[in-house]
Amino acid sequence: MDRKAILNELKKVLAPYTEDKTILEGINEQTDLIKDLKINSANLVDIIIDAESQYNIEIDFDAAEKMYNVGNCIDVIAEKMNRTA
Amino acid sequence: MKSTGNDIVALNAIDIRRTKSSRFYSKFLNVAEQALYQQTQADIPFEKFVWLLWSVKEAAYKYYKRHDAGLMFSPIKFVVQQVNFPAGHALTPFTGIYWDSEHNTENYITGSIVYGSEQLYFRAKLHPELITTVVSQDEQFENVYWGFQLVEHTDHEHQSREAIAFSLIKLSSVLGIADLNIAKSEIGYPVVLDGGTPLDVALSFAHHERFVGYSFAL
Repeated sequence: MDRKAILNELKKVLAPYTEDKTILEGINEQTDLIKDLKINSANLVDIIIDAESQYNIEIDFDAAEKMYNVGNCIDVIAEKMNRTA
Repeated sequence: MKSTGNDIVALNAIDIRRTKSSRFYSKFLNVAEQALYQQTQADIPFEKFVWLLWSVKEAAYKYYKRHDAGLMFSPIKFVVQQVNFPAGHALTPFTGIYWDSEHNTENYITGSIVYGSEQLYFRAKLHPELITTVVSQDEQFENVYWGFQLVEHTDHEHQSREAIAFSLIKLSSVLGIADLNIAKSEIGYPVVLDGGTPLDVALSFAHHERFVGYSFAL
């Protein structure tokens, strides 16, 4: 799965926790989950659990620490997917 | 280092079943923290205990973030050491519109949290509807003020506006200055201004669903 495909799948993971669906549709690798998408930090663990299910990977919190913007999320997901491939 | 940090969790928004699964809470609570639930003999449901500890971690993160712009929230690195429930603690519904720490004689849930070699103390209020938490380096919370308010809407702009307005009422009253303003620092934390001059006050905001809150330290 390339970065663009991961990004498209990531939108589905983020959708339940994002108030403004227009901003979500236009996200790029620089988009910040909390500042730009206004995702409440209380949902960060939900996002990690949902991403684990979506991509069939396991994300420990050391990796999760990096998931503050979309590009970093894709980095972590791509790395974990490569490890399980 | 003057700082403050607070947090709010609206408990009607949490997924109880997911919270109770070890896959969820073990992402941010270590084994010792999980054991605190039995040790403290907390007379509250486990899912509320999990979110209480999350809330303490988030408040502590905000406290340190103020002086470390690059700090990322890694909840597992913030370790709750101790949780004390007051004798006879009971979950009573929050029936008002707002609450603040003016009458600071309440029996809060208290405890401590460490981050690396640093330690903070926390105070928390727990109702069936919400958890709200504040942290301080001072166990007595001298010159620390905090409060929360129920607002009409859940959109981010409304929450921010209401949190600012709510905090300004208290700040003006405590500082005795009528025309205060709040701006954002370059790294994003709120700054209290008196006619454009930044005051030596640490301020923090939190919001979740229909609850907004502040804490400030003088």
